Parts: sequence; C-alpha cells; structure tokens
Amino acid sequence: MRIDYIIIALKSLTQRKLRSWLTMIGIFIGIAAVVALMGLGEGLRGAITGQFGFLGPDVLGVQASGINFAGPPGQAVVNPLTDDLADKIERIPGVDAAINRFIESGTFEFNDKQDIVFAWNVPEGKDRNIFEDMINLKVREGRLLKDGDKFKVVLGDSFTDEDRFGKEIKVGNKVLFNGQLFDVVGILEKKGSFIFDTAVIMNEDVLVNEFRDDNSVNVIAVKVKDLKTIGNVQRDIEQLLRKERNVKEGEEDFTVQSPQNALQSLDQTLFGVQLFISIIAFISIIVGGIGITNTMYTAVLERTKEIGIMKSIGATNQTIFTLFFIESGLLGIVGGVVGIIFGFVLSHGLAFMGRLALGSELIRADISIELVLGALLFSFLVGLIAGTVPAYQASKKNPVDSLRFTK
Amino acid sequence: MNLELIKYAFLNVKKRKLRSGLTILSILIGVTAIYALISFGVGLQNYVNVIAEQAGIDKLFIQSRGIGAPGTDENFRILRDDIDFVEKINGIQEISGIYFKTVEVKKNRQLKFVFGSGIDPSKIDFVEEAFTVGVEKGRQLKKGDFDKVVLGHNYQLEDKIFKKSVALGEKIEINDEVFEVIGFYEKIGNPQDDSNVFFTYDTFESLFPDDKDQFGFVMVKANRNVDPSLLAERITDKLRKHKGQEEGKEDFFVQTFEDALQTFNNIILILSGILVLIALVSLIVASVNTMNTMYTAVVERTKEIGIMKAVGARNRDILSIFVIESGILGAIGGLIGVILGFLISSTGGKIAAQAGFSFLQPSFPIWLTIGSILFAFFVGAASGSLPAYRASKLKPVDALRYE
Repeated sequence: MRIDYIIIALKSLTQRKLRSWLTMIGIFIGIAAVVALMGLGEGLRGAITGQFGFLGPDVLGVQASGINFAGPPGQAVVNPLTDDLADKIERIPGVDAAINRFIESGTFEFNDKQDIVFAWNVPEGKDRNIFEDMINLKVREGRLLKDGDKFKVVLGDSFTDEDRFGKEIKVGNKVLFNGQLFDVVGILEKKGSFIFDTAVIMNEDVLVNEFRDDNSVNVIAVKVKDLKTIGNVQRDIEQLLRKERNVKEGEEDFTVQSPQNALQSLDQTLFGVQLFISIIAFISIIVGGIGITNTMYTAVLERTKEIGIMKSIGATNQTIFTLFFIESGLLGIVGGVVGIIFGFVLSHGLAFMGRLALGSELIRADISIELVLGALLFSFLVGLIAGTVPAYQASKKNPVDSLRFTK
Repeated sequence: MNLELIKYAFLNVKKRKLRSGLTILSILIGVTAIYALISFGVGLQNYVNVIAEQAGIDKLFIQSRGIGAPGTDENFRILRDDIDFVEKINGIQEISGIYFKTVEVKKNRQLKFVFGSGIDPSKIDFVEEAFTVGVEKGRQLKKGDFDKVVLGHNYQLEDKIFKKSVALGEKIEINDEVFEVIGFYEKIGNPQDDSNVFFTYDTFESLFPDDKDQFGFVMVKANRNVDPSLLAERITDKLRKHKGQEEGKEDFFVQTFEDALQTFNNIILILSGILVLIALVSLIVASVNTMNTMYTAVVERTKEIGIMKAVGARNRDILSIFVIESGILGAIGGLIGVILGFLISSTGGKIAAQAGFSFLQPSFPIWLTIGSILFAFFVGAASGSLPAYRASKLKPVDALRYE
C-alpha cells in the first residue's frame, strides 16, 4: 500500500520530466553550496585550531594576562610571569612537571637572505624528555637537542623550503639567529602547525643567556600526574600565583587553563564566521523550497481532474494528501542526494585549488558524516514542508467540482 | 505596440497570482541578500575613504617588523635615534614617534587589558590629525600632564569596558598607578581602538622606564609638493644605511597611508565579493524557478499561442510576450528585494553600531539600487528566454490542436 504511493509519486514526477528536473536542480544547487561551504569551513576551522591544539588534556598552560592573539603567548602582556614560578608550581601535589617556555623573536639569516622568525626553548635535564613527549617532538632528519648543545638548533620543516632562503637548509648547515652563528643538527617532522613548522628550537640555556635580558617567561606548561585531579591542581596553581604576584581573588592578572579552553574563544569566532557564510548559502535552499511549492501547486492544479476521479472511486483526503506529500518529499531528497555528491566534489575541488593558488596547507575540506546526514534529512524536510500546503489543498478538493474542472 | 505587449504580460502575471507570487518571492530573496551585502561592502569602503581623506594622503608611517600584532614585538622597535635621524631627511614636514604597550586598567576591582599609547604633547595636533580623532569631552594632553590620561570613547559607556561608565575628572588605576581622566576621544568605531588610553611621553616613560626611546610606530607627514611614496622610498633607503642594514634585510618598513588603506580596501573588496558570490547562488536557483514557471506557462497557454499565431502574431511577438513576462517577474522581485535589503541593512547597521562596530555601516548609492533592479530584470528575462523561444517556435496548427 505504502509502496504504491511512492510508485504513483515517482510516476507523476517522471511524467513531467523537465519540470521535475528544474525543481530538483533548484534544491540541488542550494544543498551543494551549503555542503561545500560548510565542509570547507569545518576543514579550515579544524586546521586553524589544530595550529594551536597540539597539547594533550593533561596539560595546563599558565600565562600572564594581556591582549589575546596579539602575538605569541607572553607578548603584549602587562606583568609577565617570572622564571622562579615553575619550580614552586612543581612542588604542588599532583603536578608531574612545570616547564618554562621562552619564545624570542629575532632575525634569521641563511644564504645571505633574512627573515624574522621566533625561537623557543627545550628545557635541560630531566624535563627534556617530559617536554619532548608532551609536545610529541620528533625529527625527520638529524637529531633532537641534548644537554650541552651550545649554539646548535633544530629547525621546523618550513626552513627546508627552497623558496624561503634561496636554497634548502640541511642538517650540518650554519645559520645566523640574531647575528649568532648556529649549527643545524636536526629538522623536525612536518606537523602542519606553524608553531612547529616555522620554529627555531634551541636549548634553554642558550636562549635565555644569549637573547633574554630579563627574568620573564612566556608560558609555563604544567603536566599533571592524574587527569582526574586537574581541577584541584588548577585551583592550587591559581592560589599560589595570587600569593606570589600579590593579587586578590577576582583580580587575577594571569590565567591557568587547559590549551583546549584557551582555544575556545578563537574557535567560537571562527564558528561564527562559518555560520554566517552558511546562512547566506542557506538562502538558496529556501529559494529551492519555494520552487518545490510552486511546482506542487502547478501539479495539483493540473491534476485536479485526476484528484476528482481518485476521490470518486474512494480515495480519502488522507490518501490524496500523502500522494502529493510524498511527491514533494521525493523532489527534495533526490535533489539533496545529488547536491551532497556535488557539494562533496566541489568542496574538495575548491580546497585543492586553494592549496595550489595560496600554497597554504590550512585550506582543507572536511565533510563529516553528520553533515551528509543532516543535509539529506534537511533536503527531505524542505521538500515536505514546501509540499504541505499544496498537498493539503489537493486533499480538500471537492470531488464533484474537481471532476468538472477544465483548464 | 510594445506597450500592448507589456500590458498583456502584466495581465498574465496577475492572472496566476500564486505562481507569480512564489516566483517573485524566490527572486526577491536573492536580491535582498545581495543588496544588503553590497551595501555593507560599499559602506566599509566609504569609511576607509573618509579616513583617507581626513588623515590626508600626505601621511606615512614607519613601523618595525616582528612577530605578532604591529608594535607589540619588543625585540623590534624604532629608536629615538632613528627618529632624530629621519627627521633631518628632506621632504618631511612633521614626525612623531608613538609609544605602544599593553596596560592594565582597573576600576572598582574590574580589570581590563588594553593598549596604551604615549604621545609627544608638543605634537598632539599632528598625531590627532593622523589618527583622525579629536577630543570629544574634556581636553587633549599637553606638556606637563603627569598622572593624567585621555581615554578612548568606550569608557564613557556603561557595560562596555567597565560595568559603570567613567566620568571626566574621575580617578582610574593603570598598571597600579592612579590617573586622573582629563578627556575622552571621539568614537573611532571599533571596540579595540575605542578602548585605548593615551598618556604624554613623560607619563609613559615613568610607567615603563625600560621602554624609554623605543617606539611602536612613527607617524610622518610629507611636505607639500613631495610625493609620499617617493618619500617612503627615500626614508627606507637612508634609514637602512643609518641602521647599517642591507637591502632586503631591514627590520622596519615605511608605508604611505594611501597604500595601507588601499590594501585594506582590497581586502574588503575580496571578502564582500566572496559573500556576494555565495548569495548569487540563490539567485541562480531563483532563475531556475523562473524558468520552470515560464515553461509551465508556455505549456498551459499552448492553445492561446496557437490562436495568436493564427491571427497573425509573428514568432518575434510571441518571444517578446514571454520574455517580457519573465522580465516583469524579475523586476518586481528586484524592487521588493531592494526595499527589503534596505530595511535589513539599516537595521543591521544600527545593531552593529550598538555593539561598538560603528564603522560597519551600510551605504546605499543610487547605482546599487538601480543596478539591483535592472539585474533582477535581466535575470528574469534571461531565465524566460528559453521557454519563450520554445513558445515562439510552436507550430500554429499543432498548438491549436493541443489539449
């Protein structure tokens, strides 16, 4: 019985091929645009937040407050952290390690070409391994730093790019950072995050003694022993820092939070942009829905006589309603399926072209299963909603008048 | 003759009210979106151009390179000595370095982090001219203003920076020192700039003794009759030699206001272009809808076409009838779309202004309004041209026989 409905609906759609096609094209274009844009947005958002979110959930970042995203952490802050805090934090129960991170900008010279880059440190001693594990630091050539490596650096993958300094930097080359000669001992694995790929990494002793003129620290990375106690550890660190920095509760000029939390505001901003663009693309689906309504009205009008005949041989109002309802739902879902396929191809195609044109690895498309299912369900719903009023009108037609109806 | 055709087309549009209405609705939605988006794009560009006009094209700035937001990288700064050197270069009428640093402002136990600028009080008029702001309330900084501060516009508002608004003459804590508020600047139109605080050189240097003589950026005004971009090149050249740097390895750059604003304008153009393209998709869908409506109309009126042809209508006449009809659908959609777009943009502009983004204001040039309606008309006419062509090619005999 139900199958019959669908067969009848399909038949009437195929009878008016041109009109059905045009109606579906309307929905299909809209769905394709939304799927493509949301896929691109999702990919881009993931790529951007992925630039920063390389730390596990068992790590807390301690930072002085200032203007966010004005540069590396610790830049544009008012009252920087000091290098004596890490040891005090490490004595808090539940803390595995507290590691000072120093970030220093400077000039980098190779092959008589210069760029401005930033360098960061790897701690010496027992913290070295903890830190390397924490950020998953691995070389693809040469080796990582070890204690006593003075004036030796490990470079991020982007330094091997020929375009950057005229020729590829290799292990064994000599480079200048802030005028000081360094040996390159290793090249990092490519991570797709600028924090690693554009980094100049050196031992803490060298970075602090040669290039830092005060006792300030950019960030303190705190690894907790047990993820369950991370809340308590956070509270204890906050209490310690309030005392050390002599500030009252509620007037903290520092933050202690997990890197994921710190990323939330950035992620929200990006999501807002994504939402705005999706809404604009969404308009075309609504327009497509109007197209369905229009087509269904025409169909009801054209088939008035048919409706009359069906009713006179016993079709109920409900049957007529269901028939038209299914027909419009089909228009929506077929348009949706084609649209999703096109959207998928389109977003990956656009991402590919974007990567070629801009050379940025950030441009990615990410079409999740939720997005596909959501788009499918939505296109079906649009079809149904768009068909409701025409189907209702068809179902309410008076059989006698309908039979008498002429165009 | 043509008037007759238009009348006939109108009549047909009116006869199928529901179908015409839905088609118009689908067109007007797209036009609304496009009109609204472009009006904001134009408004933004106007804003930039107004700034350019007020600041004058005779301004340049010198800025250090470095990592992060301009002026925040303390390893790269422009030194007093550099400024003294540049000042002697031919073609410069005025020059002033501006200190730049993050500060903590505090009132009633509420803490905020904003940018603080240190300005040479003897050059305050020049700096205000370059920033295109003036004091709105109170007075500007002058020599000897110690422990006094001029605040950005937003401090006067409630629930913006602090819960309570700040009044003239009130005390405010900046980096744990107490300052007297002596003035407020006019609204610049974005929350970041409108929360800045301004001190004299002396005050800034006492707050940040380590940063003395190290500037975030430097404003320059070119002499009359001097081409600012040539002057920029000359400054780059001489300052590079003065700092003992090689070409291509400068740790600073010089840019004219015009170039900087041009870059900004291009970004606006690209961004609004992308948004308009996305909105254009809905107009494509609308044009498919229109085509559909017109095909249906042709099928329904086959007999009518046959009759018209039988009494002497030429193919061209039939073509015009249907093209005009779909063009009318488009034009009506365009007209309503423009009106709706206007309402939406105006409301959006007001909301943006209330949120502190008063630079985000729409502008409605006449070309946009007329262009949108014309465009909608052409989209309608173009979508109708295929069905119309099919109608015009119908054989009168077959058409008359059609059931």
